Amino acid sequence: MASSSAVRSRDVKLKGVPASPGIAAGRVLRLDERGRHQFYYIGVSAAQARMEARRLHEAFQEARAQLRDIRVHLAEVLGYDHSFILDAHLLMLEDERLIQELEHEIRTRRVNAEWAVRSVADRAIDAYKQVNDPYLRERTSDLEDVATRLLTILSGHDKFDLSKLDQDVIIVAKNIWPSTVAELDFNHVLGFATNTGGLTSHSAIIARSLGIPAVVGLHDVTRLAKTGNLIVIDGSAGEVILRPTKSVLRTYAERGELEAGRRIRRTAEIAQAAETIDGVRITLRANVELSTEVESLKLFGAEGIGLYRSEFLFLNRLPELPTEDEQYEVYRKLAEATGDHGANIRVFDLGGDKLTLEGFETEQNPALGLRAIRLSLRAEHVFRTQLRAILRANLHGRLRVVLPLVSTITELREAKRIIADVKQEMAETHVEHNAELPIGVMIEVPAAALMADVFTREADFLSVGTNDLIQYILAVDRTNENVGYLYQPLHPAILRTISHLVRVAEAQQVSLELCGEMAADPLQAIALIGLGIRTLSLVPGSIPLVKYAIRSVEFHRVQSLMKDAMKLASSAEVEELLARELPQQAPRFFAAWSSRA
Amino acid sequence: MQERKITISNRLGLHARAAARLVRRAAQFNSNIELVREDTGESADGKSILSVLLLAASNGTCLIIKTEGDDEERAINALAELIEQRFLEELSDGVF
Repeated sequence: MASSSAVRSRDVKLKGVPASPGIAAGRVLRLDERGRHQFYYIGVSAAQARMEARRLHEAFQEARAQLRDIRVHLAEVLGYDHSFILDAHLLMLEDERLIQELEHEIRTRRVNAEWAVRSVADRAIDAYKQVNDPYLRERTSDLEDVATRLLTILSGHDKFDLSKLDQDVIIVAKNIWPSTVAELDFNHVLGFATNTGGLTSHSAIIARSLGIPAVVGLHDVTRLAKTGNLIVIDGSAGEVILRPTKSVLRTYAERGELEAGRRIRRTAEIAQAAETIDGVRITLRANVELSTEVESLKLFGAEGIGLYRSEFLFLNRLPELPTEDEQYEVYRKLAEATGDHGANIRVFDLGGDKLTLEGFETEQNPALGLRAIRLSLRAEHVFRTQLRAILRANLHGRLRVVLPLVSTITELREAKRIIADVKQEMAETHVEHNAELPIGVMIEVPAAALMADVFTREADFLSVGTNDLIQYILAVDRTNENVGYLYQPLHPAILRTISHLVRVAEAQQVSLELCGEMAADPLQAIALIGLGIRTLSLVPGSIPLVKYAIRSVEFHRVQSLMKDAMKLASSAEVEELLARELPQQAPRFFAAWSSRA
Repeated sequence: MQERKITISNRLGLHARAAARLVRRAAQFNSNIELVREDTGESADGKSILSVLLLAASNGTCLIIKTEGDDEERAINALAELIEQRFLEELSDGVF
């Protein structure tokens, strides 16, 4: 049988979407084993039907009790905003109509409670699917979640109390349901691997904000992995290795000191300053996509927000646009949560591969098309609404604006003109706001990097966005598997560009920050610091690990190492140099990388 | 029996949060509560989340609220007020 040979084979490598960085190795806990298949049809007598109805009521009670506990737990872990989804689940369990329908099904069709739940849920799901409303169709996953919970309770296979795991596990599931995430005991969950999902799926977002490695979009990992199997997940590379052999496991286990980062978060070390051994202080700020993530800033020791991706406000909404008041509430939350550290709000970076505005068509070559600041300047009303919201929210903290994908100075000038105009309009109409709003330029386009000195004269600060900068310098779409290998963050061309930006910013006395996935990779973060970057912005969950790396190196040595690196010919040579030299400086931490090449 | 016509005016319409608020409020009354879409005639039990969600009443949908029971007047006032206040809709990130 094909599946049994698959079970025995070792080192099965699966490629998915890298959803949350980091590496984890451990035992699989496959969630879909819970309940989902544990129901079958049983015809029952009238007397037994009464019995089944009672079982049904007990299952409802139990499910409600579970959900109430989960809601409390979820609010503690992720904050209140994430917990409301469970209200809908609870209400479904309190829905008298649903209960009546189920009882009716049991009584008239003489079926067991499991079968009644399955068939009534399927009918409801079908009904929802027929409604022409994408939001409502999505609610079928809530219904499915509730039905699964009931079936699990009914079938008595609820042995796995996820909130009381006694050993570390890696969760393998088709999809991570919101309520499952809420149930997990995060002290024992090392990572997620799921069949479905993309970068913006619930599981990915939550994994990132909790700092747990995750790979999603693996298609059939639930078929290939069994509970108890060993598994390695590399959330940075988007790879999963099933039943790794000892040597593979050893390689990862060595790199597995990476895992230390996750544990650090629970220790007092989180409170330590991000400072190299020789006393160079680095500021670590957070990249944030959802306002609810501000809850995790303190948890991971972030010093404010270096990048708030405001386009996430559009998620699930387009073509409808977020109103000024809605935006104000979100920005105000960011301002209040970050206090003196402040928050950088990147204005809508729409277009390209991201969501786009109504009335603008899909383009042949979106990466080089009407996107980011280009789109904001074209759709000026959208830009102005956002600016008004930011200026009002700025009364509650220290906000700064960052303009994405600026190519020429005229774009900065045009944006500044609009900002000045909005301020004036607000002053004239007596709308309360704080006009003290620094304007920064994202350096993502090679032209802007080369012309950085010009930008420093007219912008208040620079922010390097490495994801796009690498893409444009090396002319590579990293999601294209034919050329993805060319996406080389440590390519000398990238290092030289960043070094140039550091020199310009120093000479002009303008602050320089860097955000992008490079900042979340400990090795690359150290390289950036060696190049002179002092402020990094990264996913909150990776902060402890990067901090740990920073605290284990000496700046002056990394600096001279990077000077050598810039003279090398290729990314491979740079990696080799770092792999050779860094471990000698910080054996504790960087032993992990010696085996990487 | 009380009957009143009212237009849904919150941005997202009767979606999860708003529907949840409406059902919770409805559950506080003894009266039977029925919601009817004026355009299609589809009706829903105001105390059932599944049924209210299925109405898929978006922003601009006109609903007829019908209440019947000993507290029908209080019930209809409370529900009309909730809809008029746009369910006190708070911000969500719209992701969950």
